[in-house]
Amino acid sequence: MNGFQLYFRLIQISLLSRMQYRANFIAGILGLIFWNVINLGLIGILVTQFTSLKDWTLWQLVFLYSLWVLGYSLYSLFFSHTSELENYLLEGSFDQFLLRPASPLVQLLGRELQHTEIANALIGLTGISLAYTQLDLHWEVWKWGFFFAAVVSSAIIALAINLLIACSGFWTGRSRGTSIIVNQFYGLVQQYPLDVFGSAFRFIVTGLIPLAFMNYYPALVLLNKVDRTNPGWWLSYVSPLVALLLIGLVSLVWRLGLDRYSSSGS
Amino acid sequence: MKIFWSFTRQAFQFISAYRFNFFMEFVLSILRMYGIYWVWRVLYTQKPGAFGVSLDQMVTYGVMGMALELFIWSRPQWYISNQVKSGAIDTDLMKPLDFHFYMLARSVGETMIGVSVLAIPALLVAYLVLHVQLPPDVLTGLIFAISLILGFLLLFHLNFILGSLSVVALDIRHISWAYFSVVRFLGGQIVPLWLFPTAIRAIAEVLPFKGTYFIPISIYIGTITGAEAIRAIEFQLVWVVVLVIVSRMLWGWAYRRLVVQGG
Repeated sequence: MNGFQLYFRLIQISLLSRMQYRANFIAGILGLIFWNVINLGLIGILVTQFTSLKDWTLWQLVFLYSLWVLGYSLYSLFFSHTSELENYLLEGSFDQFLLRPASPLVQLLGRELQHTEIANALIGLTGISLAYTQLDLHWEVWKWGFFFAAVVSSAIIALAINLLIACSGFWTGRSRGTSIIVNQFYGLVQQYPLDVFGSAFRFIVTGLIPLAFMNYYPALVLLNKVDRTNPGWWLSYVSPLVALLLIGLVSLVWRLGLDRYSSSGS
Repeated sequence: MKIFWSFTRQAFQFISAYRFNFFMEFVLSILRMYGIYWVWRVLYTQKPGAFGVSLDQMVTYGVMGMALELFIWSRPQWYISNQVKSGAIDTDLMKPLDFHFYMLARSVGETMIGVSVLAIPALLVAYLVLHVQLPPDVLTGLIFAISLILGFLLLFHLNFILGSLSVVALDIRHISWAYFSVVRFLGGQIVPLWLFPTAIRAIAEVLPFKGTYFIPISIYIGTITGAEAIRAIEFQLVWVVVLVIVSRMLWGWAYRRLVVQGG
């Protein structure tokens, strides 16, 4: 079996075990729908009372939010359990991964499928299509291409950031604290355009934790909001590049981490 | 009183054991306050003094909304649900204490720590950096304190009710997502009720949720004053009484279910 076949076999097994809990699945989907509708409702109320947020209108904000939800749901659907790496390292159960004759990375990635996230993907798609018609957007072919690339990049960026944080566990043993911090940035970048915040915040989510490439920068292109007079205008187009760079960085750190790994012995 | 104190001590020991996590919580609440501060500033450039509320008041509202989340930090529903899942709930039930009172004492203890270690330091930073206001006078501060305690009791009982449901539902993780967002929304944690569209506002006005965030913070920034403040406190009081009764009945019912299951 090669890596891909193994991955799909693992996913299949996990899905079978998950489907044993059907009531939980339905409750999960309802919970997610509620969560998103209320988030959007809050933004909606703010923007209708104040007409717009900087120069972002209601439907542009819905687009921004939904683009994030769609990209992030792809990450969560397949990979959200990567944050469990910390526990495997602490409990020493990571040894199992090394004993089996298959790539430890494939084993980690294929461990689970968060199937309730399908609801998030659908919410993201619904939001984007509603915004697309409301804003009367007419994308050329290259923009459709850019849109798909942006969604995939967004999922990859989320995966890379989370894996990098999880890998820090190889050196420090603990990584949860950092991941909580990054999670908080998620909420802010997801709901509000960067224009709102001060320059320190913009710098952090562009250069340090490149979350803004998940929705804000590509959304500028897709909503025709790129301002060529701004010296940073090219940032709007480079999400796929950022995703590629991060993949390279993650595979390097992962290999270094594996070399560094010594079992906790428990 | 002794029992509350012993839970406070226990919560403090827990925090000292996970110091890094609590430091992170602290950084996060500052980050949340910073975020909400910018959102209101930007919105107010479009409509200065919107709805008769000044920018300073609005920023204070937003920051207090984040701070109160730390104040009402205790989450008895997780405790109950974990104990039920692991079966360890029988040791809680064997204690010579009324379970509802035991959970309340635990929550009070945890909250005292949450306030002194997280909420007050974070608010101090906010006062210095984000120009958050103090209450206009001592009397307002006093009424705010009363309203805040009632808000805590309200949220505790809502959480306790959710926790009791976990005896029957077993996994409340997904239900809690919906629950949290309802409290945040109808409680007015981020967006105050006066901005709501009329229909939603009418619903939010009668439900208990507005007593958790909206009433205490509105009293604090001075948009609810005088006779209106007294009425608001009465509203909280009535709901606390109702929820205490519901909690006790519901727990009694869940408890019988628990015994049938064999723990």
